[in-house]
Order: sequence, then structure tokens, then C-alpha cells
Amino acid sequence: MNAFELDKVSFTYPSGTQALTDVSFVVEEGSSVALLGSNGAGKSTLLDLLLGLHPNGSITLYGKNLAAYGRKEVGRLVALVPQSEQFNFSFTLLEYTLFGRSPYLRQMQSPTALDAQIAFDALLEVGLAGFEERSITSLSGGEHQLLLIARAIAQQSRILLLDEPTSALDPANRRRTLSLLKGLHSKGKTLLFSTHDVNFAAELATHVVMLKGGRILGAGPIEEVVNAQALTTLYETEMQVGTIGSQTIMY
Amino acid sequence: MTDSHGYEQQIKRRRGALATMVVAPLLFAFISLFFGRYPKAGFTLPLDWQTNVMMRKIILNVRLPRIALALLAGSMLSASGYAFQMLFSNPLVEPGFLGVSQGSAFGAALMIVLGASSTLSVQLSATFFGLLALAASYFLARRFRFGGWLLRLVLSGIAVSAIFSSALAVVKLVAEPTKDLQDITFWMMGGLWNASWGQLFSILPVVLLSQVVIISQRWKLNLLSLGEKTSFSIGVNPKRDRTLLLVVATVGTTLVISITGLIGWVGLITPHIARKLFGSESSFSLPASMIFGSFFLLFSDTLGRTLLPTEIPIGLLTSLFGAIAFIIILSLRNQEGKV
Repeated sequence: MNAFELDKVSFTYPSGTQALTDVSFVVEEGSSVALLGSNGAGKSTLLDLLLGLHPNGSITLYGKNLAAYGRKEVGRLVALVPQSEQFNFSFTLLEYTLFGRSPYLRQMQSPTALDAQIAFDALLEVGLAGFEERSITSLSGGEHQLLLIARAIAQQSRILLLDEPTSALDPANRRRTLSLLKGLHSKGKTLLFSTHDVNFAAELATHVVMLKGGRILGAGPIEEVVNAQALTTLYETEMQVGTIGSQTIMY
Repeated sequence: MTDSHGYEQQIKRRRGALATMVVAPLLFAFISLFFGRYPKAGFTLPLDWQTNVMMRKIILNVRLPRIALALLAGSMLSASGYAFQMLFSNPLVEPGFLGVSQGSAFGAALMIVLGASSTLSVQLSATFFGLLALAASYFLARRFRFGGWLLRLVLSGIAVSAIFSSALAVVKLVAEPTKDLQDITFWMMGGLWNASWGQLFSILPVVLLSQVVIISQRWKLNLLSLGEKTSFSIGVNPKRDRTLLLVVATVGTTLVISITGLIGWVGLITPHIARKLFGSESSFSLPASMIFGSFFLLFSDTLGRTLLPTEIPIGLLTSLFGAIAFIIILSLRNQEGKV
């Protein structure tokens, strides 16, 4: 069954800005989909729609209309890793990761020891084990990103939505994040991420969706859709596609 | 802490610490019964309890409702302050910052000047204008075209507070000087001196209900502090839940201050103290904040009614102690969750 199906999705903000027009594509279960496009192409809006933030009757999640799901139900199926998050309170890393367990908690229930173990495991998986008691306000940019992913892992969802996961990372942390996400994908998670880093997309994605001016420019398996001409049209600048060893490079 | 066993141990430890802390305000409440200016200034054990009718009446009908009101008001103001800080993701926010206190003060003053005879009409008016001020701050912040959300919110709160302060000043100008003006002035300084069983019971059910709702949603307060998109992604309906909690916290606060007048700093400072001890996660720091609030208000009131021949308005004392505590807390190393 497909994770997401979008059928001619359009969206206009209350201000009147048309963000998306007739967007249709399918996200297969277990795939890794890169959302490519220039600034303002509609990538973040699309992620918001897939999260259910703006109810839309043209999106299905595992065959059921997304708008018909309850909030916690969606939370158990879809997790979000935002581009960044402002930390105004000094939660510990463990407390913050435990927030990912919320879709599983009943009204007024607090996390159990099992939830805590899942959060510990998530921190271990992203390489932040041993820092559980540290304050989230003391994290570096790279650790910040890893923590956001840890919370999403603790959510134990089948789908992970990531908004520009490498936009603020140095090369070492970019590599760390890439390797972490590859690992999650190999374990069967469906990934859908927006990015300006086309080489990150080439390394992680099995499929791409190219958005231009809120419309689909191309969607499908990466090797079928991505070429120099398509990228040049997408970004309105000269782009090339080559290989180094077995790795596809775009520049 | 390295595993879930350590986590369970910490929960147990914090639960124990919280249970122990509850004893402090209750014990002080008992001792406070014997503080006052009758039969002499200071502490007096009522050894002639059986025969001294006046003493018995003062303890049961004057001091006891006043102490109960201090406990109730302190916990409510702290719970609201805590909730506001989490809901606006800003540790420097309390109902007063968003115009609620000034709105309530205006509402109460207006009723006093209009000659309202019942406590209920003053309470209703205070609650209505408190909610109106909150809504005005919220919607103005959405309309502002300057700065981020939190800055806009604080700025709109300042603007709304100023508008209600001006309106209050106008009401004071036209108030009858020998009676109404004094009542309004009391409002501005805060005090528990007119506490009675009747007044206490008039707000008790709704204030307790507000506290129960806020405590029951303490986990959600954490999630709502993360911002709209993130909280939505982990199963919360931020618009609905934030509105519900804001209304509940505001109604509780305005009912309390409709009797006590404006009491500043309690809602701002006690959440900070609680976080220093129990960390930022609300499961324990919210109830701890409420316990601190009860104790803080009771202590300030007991001091205010005992220290000088004339009673010191409680709002002055909470501002003094609150500001000192604030300076100390901000000067300490940024380390939380000691318990």
C-alpha cells in the first residue's frame, strides 16, 4: 500500500498566495523521496499538508483520507523533523525525546518506563547516549539536528518528514545525519525530505519530486527523473550531473 | 541516569520531594493562625481557647478564611503564570504581561463606580475584561508587522495593558473619593484583608476546577511550548488546546484577583523557582510551582498583617520578594532539575 497519494492537490494561503497547484504524486511505502525546488517553490507547504496542518481532502495516508485521521493516529504514522526549533525552556535531552512518545499516551497519562527506554534507545541510535541529562539549550547545531531526529525516532512512526535536514550543518554533521537517515531507511522507514542540497538527495533518495512555482515539474525514481536539463530548468541555473565512482554528483 | 530504571528512580524521588513540600505551606498555615495583632502583636498561642469567644471568632472567621484564600490564590496565580509561560513559550510571561490583570482591574473598578452591590457582578466584570484583554493582546499580536511572534505578543500585551491602565485612571478620576476610590486603590495594591468564607466559597469551585484542568494537562503544556508545527506533529491540536488552557487560566486568575486585587510577581517567579528544582518538564515543576505560590502568598500575607500596626498591602510585599528572588535566580548558574 502507498504511504501517501496526492491527487491534484492545490492550496492557497488565506493571504491569497497560491502555493500549490494540481500536485499529484505517490509516495511508495519504504521509499525515500526528495522534494527539490527553489525557495518559494512550495516544498514546506507540501510538508505541512502531508502532516495534516492544513486539512485537504485530496491526500490519502495508507489508503485513507488524511483529514479523516485523528491527531494522535497521524502522530503514530507520520513524524516530523523540522528545519530547526527554538528552545525556550531547558528540557533535558531525555525529556525532549520523550515528547515523541506523546501520540501513544492516553489523556492525562505520563510516560512509562517503557517510553523512557524507547527514548534512551533513540538517543543511542543518533549518537547522543550519555547526554540524557544535558539541557537542550546547550547543544551545538549538529547535536540539535540529531536530537530532532531522536524525537522523531522515539515516535516510532512509519513515515518521517524532514524539512531541510542539512541546511545548517557542517560537512561532518551532514555526513553523520546522512548516515543516520540511510540507516533508518534501510530499516524500512519511508522518508520524505525537502532539501536544497541536491547531492544529499542523490545519496539518500530513491525518488524525487521536483516542484517549480507550486507545480510538479517531474516526479518518479531518481535515475529516471533527474538529469542536467531537468535540474537546469528547476533551478534556472546551469546544472550538470556526473559520477564519481558509483556516486552520482550534481553541480 | 543511564536507563529506564534511573528514570523511574528519578520519578519516585521527585514524587517524594513534592509530597514533602506540600507539608510546608500546610504547616505554616497552621502556625499562621496564631499570628496577628490580637490579643497582642505577633505570635500568640490561644491557651484560653475554650473561654475567649473573641479569639475563637477571629481565628475561625477572620484568619482561617484569609489563610485558605492565600493558599488558593497563591496556587492559582502560580498555575496560571506557569501555564502562560508554557503556552507562549516564553519564561517571562505571566497573565499581567498580556493585559489580563489590568483588564480585570478595569472591569472591577468599573463595576465599583457603577455602584454594583454584589460581589458576583464585580467578579463577572473582572473576568469578562480580563478575557477581553487577553483576546485583544492575542489578536493584536497577530496583526502586528514587527518582530517574531513572542516579541509581538509582549508588545501587544504592553499596549493593551497601557490602554486598560488609562481607562482605569479615568474611572478613578470619576470615582466617588470617600468610598469607591478607596476600593479601587485597594485593588491596585492587592490585599486579603476583606477575605471571608462567603467570598472564598464564591470563587472556590471555579478556581479549583481551573487548577484541576491545568494540572491534568501538564504533559500537554510541555508539547505546546514547542511551537505549533511540532506540537501538531506529535498528536496535539495546538489551536484548540492553547485556547482552552488560556481561557481556563485567565478565568481562574481573574476570579482570584476580583477578591484579592492585583498581586504581582507570584505567577512570574514561582515557575522559575520550581524549574530550578524540578527541571523544565511540567509533570513536577507545575505542581511544585503551585505549592511555592501558596507558601509565598501565605508568608507575604502573614508578614503583611503582623509586622506593622497598619497592614502592608500584599502586592507590595510580593513585588519586593519576587524581584529579589528574580535577581537571585537569574544570577545563578543555568542549571535546572536538582531534585
